Amino acid sequence: MKTIRVNIQVNNEKNVLQVRPYETLLETLRERLNLTGAKEACSMGACGACTVVVNGIPVRSCIVLTAEVDGAVITTVEGLKENGELHPLQEAFMEKGAVQCGFCTSGMIMTAKALLDRKKRPTKKEIVKTISSNICRCTGYKKIVEAVEEAGKKMA
Amino acid sequence: MKDNFNIVGKRVVRSDSLDKVTGAARYTADIKLPNILVGKVLRSPYPHARIVSIDLKRALKVPGVKAAISGFDAYGIKWGVFRYTQDHAMLPTDKVRYIGEDVAAVAAVDEETALEALSYIKVDYEPLPAVFDPIESMKEGAPQIHAEHKNNINIHIHIDVGEVDKAMGKAFLVREDTFKAAGEAYAMMEPYAVVASYANGYLDLWMPNAGPHVRAKALSNLLKLPLNKVRIRHINSGGAFGGRSEVAPGDLVASLLSIKAGRPVKLVLSREENATSSRQVHDIMATIKTGMKKDGTIVAKDYRVIYNGGAYSSTGPIATSIPFYVYEECYRFPNVRYNGYRVFTNKGIRGMYGCHGRAFLAGNEAQMDLMAKELGIDPVDIRLKNGLKPGEVTATKSKITSCGLKDTIKAASERTNFKKRWARKSGLKGIGMGCIAIMCGFPMGFRSGSSCYVKINDDGQATLVTGLVDNGQGNESMVIQVASEVLGIPMKDINLVCADTEVTNLDPGAYSQAAAFVGANAVRVACENARKKIVSIAAQKLRVKAADIGLKDGLAYSMKEPDKKMPISWVVREAFFRGEPVAATGSYFPNIDFEREWVSRPWGQMAGTFSFGTSIAEVSIDPETGKIAMPRFTTAHDCGRAINPMAVEGQMDGSVQQAGVAAITEGNLWDKGHLLNPDLLEYKVPLACDMPDIDTIIISSLDPEGPFGAKEGGLTVRMNAYSAVACAVTNATGELFEELPLTPDKVLTMLERKKGVKG
Amino acid sequence: MILPKFEYKKAKSVAEAVAFYHDHKGRARYLAGGTDLIPLIKLRLSTPTAVIDLKDIEELKAVSRNNGGWLTVGANVTLFNLKNDPVVREYFPALYESLDATSCETLQMRGTIGGNILQDTHCLLYNKSLEWRTARGFCYKMGGAACNVVPNAKACFSNYCSDNAPSLITLSAQVKLVGPRGERTVELEKIFSGDGRSPFLVEPGEILTEILIPLKKTQGAYEKLRVRDSMDYPLAGVAVSVKGAAARACVGGIGLAPRLYDLKNINEITIKEASDRIYADAKPVSNTVLSAIYRKRMAGALLKKAIRRVLQEGWK
Ligand SMILES: Cc1cc2nc3c(=O)[nH]c(=O)nc-3n(C[C@H](O)[C@H](O)[C@H](O)COP(=O)(O)OP(=O)(O)OC[C@H]3O[C@@H](n4cnc5c(N)ncnc54)[C@H](O)[C@@H]3O)c2cc1C
Ligand code: SF4
Repeated sequence: MKTIRVNIQVNNEKNVLQVRPYETLLETLRERLNLTGAKEACSMGACGACTVVVNGIPVRSCIVLTAEVDGAVITTVEGLKENGELHPLQEAFMEKGAVQCGFCTSGMIMTAKALLDRKKRPTKKEIVKTISSNICRCTGYKKIVEAVEEAGKKMA
Repeated sequence: MKDNFNIVGKRVVRSDSLDKVTGAARYTADIKLPNILVGKVLRSPYPHARIVSIDLKRALKVPGVKAAISGFDAYGIKWGVFRYTQDHAMLPTDKVRYIGEDVAAVAAVDEETALEALSYIKVDYEPLPAVFDPIESMKEGAPQIHAEHKNNINIHIHIDVGEVDKAMGKAFLVREDTFKAAGEAYAMMEPYAVVASYANGYLDLWMPNAGPHVRAKALSNLLKLPLNKVRIRHINSGGAFGGRSEVAPGDLVASLLSIKAGRPVKLVLSREENATSSRQVHDIMATIKTGMKKDGTIVAKDYRVIYNGGAYSSTGPIATSIPFYVYEECYRFPNVRYNGYRVFTNKGIRGMYGCHGRAFLAGNEAQMDLMAKELGIDPVDIRLKNGLKPGEVTATKSKITSCGLKDTIKAASERTNFKKRWARKSGLKGIGMGCIAIMCGFPMGFRSGSSCYVKINDDGQATLVTGLVDNGQGNESMVIQVASEVLGIPMKDINLVCADTEVTNLDPGAYSQAAAFVGANAVRVACENARKKIVSIAAQKLRVKAADIGLKDGLAYSMKEPDKKMPISWVVREAFFRGEPVAATGSYFPNIDFEREWVSRPWGQMAGTFSFGTSIAEVSIDPETGKIAMPRFTTAHDCGRAINPMAVEGQMDGSVQQAGVAAITEGNLWDKGHLLNPDLLEYKVPLACDMPDIDTIIISSLDPEGPFGAKEGGLTVRMNAYSAVACAVTNATGELFEELPLTPDKVLTMLERKKGVKG
Repeated sequence: MILPKFEYKKAKSVAEAVAFYHDHKGRARYLAGGTDLIPLIKLRLSTPTAVIDLKDIEELKAVSRNNGGWLTVGANVTLFNLKNDPVVREYFPALYESLDATSCETLQMRGTIGGNILQDTHCLLYNKSLEWRTARGFCYKMGGAACNVVPNAKACFSNYCSDNAPSLITLSAQVKLVGPRGERTVELEKIFSGDGRSPFLVEPGEILTEILIPLKKTQGAYEKLRVRDSMDYPLAGVAVSVKGAAARACVGGIGLAPRLYDLKNINEITIKEASDRIYADAKPVSNTVLSAIYRKRMAGALLKKAIRRVLQEGWK
């Protein structure tokens, strides 16, 4: 089957790729670009572990075709650092103990990043609502909510 | 015990978290190796069928397919944790026993090719009658699942202490109830994955696992390879919760494929396969009869508990016993009889769970509340009255040493104003309490202990080598923290080599709550031995007494004259000069009665120590829909010393989700042998919006044996949170639950039963 | 889980999309946010030869007040953007609440209102992998002989789980469909076939281009039964919109099509009557995570809850 040419900017790097028409964005990131931070946990859009930010919006990359995002600007967890400095969310997740097994962490952080980018200092209620898009099996979410609150304060 | 530490007891950032927040942490599915192939498994569509033949020929002809295997390519060996439970071939050749069982597999250059090849494998089955309900399964004439187990009874645990019938006869109040609970899914975020790479006679494997050494041993048996040829390597694990303790069918599949193909093979299960074909949790039915004196003293307990064991033994005897033991480690039972039956059915394979036994435990606690109420006693007093105290011995002869049970009950009930709120409940609001004790480690033969090797490098950094494993709970960081305390070397300068069977020594694994009490203890001992060497050289060099030497921030210094100091790296270099590099080993073996056996001799010291905990749930029920809201959850855990309180809190928070909120949302649903919710949409792992406000209380009954007094980091909450919820619902409704989870339909039925409406 | 092979086409206009559809002889599927379609394809419940992406079609992206008193919503408007449109909040509270209760925030940002309306129906025995379904045996909806939930029934009892179609129906919404044979506008409640094998009366190749809602202020509420307060599809959902003394109520999540109920005058008696009728009409079967009888009872109960909430909040 014919491949499709797509231009995507991922973590500030431009990529011109030939992808299969039925290739998911998650497959492209993990297999072609070696960005394995986004995880495949349910493959059906039901958990959020594969969340990356596409043009400012969090998307579940396991149910999005790479062909759909031609021309997009994409950020993955690997691209959060700026000038070698951790993103406030990354710092807060560490300091607040919001990380346990780590499998949901990158999706959680990317979902929260999209929130903090569109909303300064979200309330606890707003944070809970946003991260109720993602499943975490370890933490009970308490420290994740605290971490996002903390990062929100730092970024405001 | 000393109390002022440099780093133990501090809220430190976990050593593994930087990799995890940057996406750098590697999990099995992230592994890439040259020439790696994709493995795919063909699974049984039948719950019970004889395998007539398996034909792989056409599959092998598909271009790009490099290997195809079935059980006929294995060695006819069956796995079992015990000699008497060896019944699991992992790739069967006689018959399949559950839907989703591994039957054959291929390795190909990519997933599409592998899927295509699977469709060409021809398996001839002769379907057999199947049975799914353990009660049916035990009846005469039920389909026989394993020839050697009559009536499909896999395990019968029989414990009989004192004179139960006599005591029951004399009791003032006797009550008998039956409770059921649906089995849960571990639902770890990472679906099971394995990479196997066979080269030069060595088999290297990566997979999320809770004990690399037990895994290697099982695989060396199954593959008839010498143990040293099977090397389980370190990799991050995306959660386990008890579900990754044993060898998995996929381990064998990937290994056989790699051996055949001579290339590395990666097998990643889909979410659905992870549910249907890796382990799940037992569904349980518990009949509980309790006798009490007029003053609330429990005089007798009589139990009959049936565990739906699925198709194979798994950790059978342990799984059939644990709920009983964690309960008898908490309360005083002068007379007790326990009949636990693990019964084979044609459902998927089952293992131990961090929250194992909720029908039994929540049933006991809720029934106790109702009986106590009849006697005019509240939940706090009944627990204080019957709870074990330090120095007491359990019904099956385990001595309790450090014990903060009373303190957890007091702290949690004071924090919530429990007594008042329980007595003066309003409307459909309720408050409930659950208590439990947990053994820290249990008999696992010579694998019950751990040892550690530590070396101090010429730059003053240290390297630890230990068999300990981390499934996400923070064990790696914990031992680094312990080493940092002992050696006075900052955590960031301590490297850890762990969970790699080629280089690390035996360890019980992240199993049986032994990581802190046993694994970290071994690390502590090794580091203390190394410390002695550092101190002795430093004392000479600084010309002070050894007793005056302190180690901190990578420096050795005189505590009396702090100006006298030198970097530890200098000490180490001096040691190299002397031809005696600073390196040491240390081990820890818990005080356990090794005569103890789960079936044949169920008594004696179970574990080196026990942790204790009390959880309190607050609920309010919508009278129209039966939906339970849980505004607040308070939980107190006696973990000994919290090495990293932030990590302990994290375990407690997670347990409130996985046991407490799960008590109203989680349960596997079946249509005969078909699992109806093998996904993350219909299996209801609670979300952030479903969580109560959580209040965690850490109680430190410093354990004389534990490292710095530590025991274990939060499992009590996993085993009492559902009890708290069930008791809160009993408080709100005046009724006992019949079945968990307490989904709104069931709660509404409870409310109507109370009103006398027919459900 | 990998997707099966298909071609991908990005359409720039409705006409181009229809032409692509024609090229694929009816074996193509339209793709909007893909949050319903891609999982179905992964499970091999749909095996198109091509997917035709509608997301770049500008004309499907707008929300506008026009046509003498209608709000026109392009099919590609995301649930999240629609929810945050001030008109929706002010005029159509039932719709606002149902949008807010749909799946979760991340999925609301990707899922479109058109895709939401045209999503496939659900059943615990249907939304499964090919392997799972093969082991269980293909049911009526998959082309088999009978239903696997209701033995011997030559019909399907899967559930239509759009949260927003019921509220749109209470608002008397219409949908515009453009296809190979031209264009038509129909009342939303008329597009349901009642047949699980193809639940919509939408012609092959037809594109839902816009949703038209009469621009009149309403009071309203949406009550949704689910186990978790996010992510979950409705196990029953009841929308109520009130204008003056009259109310329209619509029940979704149970059975193949939403059911509409008119209450001419809201009072204790009509509410009870409607609730009883809803209870009698609802015929759930055991194909969700909560029992059928419970869902049947809840349909009536949710109506009362929704109306009570509207009354408490007051209406003009
Ligand atoms: C985990 C999860 C939870 C969910 N929970 C809910 C929920 O609670 N409530 C709910 O209502 N939905 C839920 N959904 C379903 C889905 O996310 C929404 O319904 C969403 O709005 C679908 O929109 P879409 O644009 O993604 O549709 P798509 O997947 O792109 O399309 C859906 C269907 O509509 C067709 N289609 C789309 N646009 C057009 C058009 N313009 N013309 C003709 N045909 C078209 C497609 O061919 C396809 O058949 C959930 C989905 C997931 C994965
Ligand atoms: S209701 Fe019956 S026919 Fe319809 S999808 Fe479910 S099993 Fe199939």
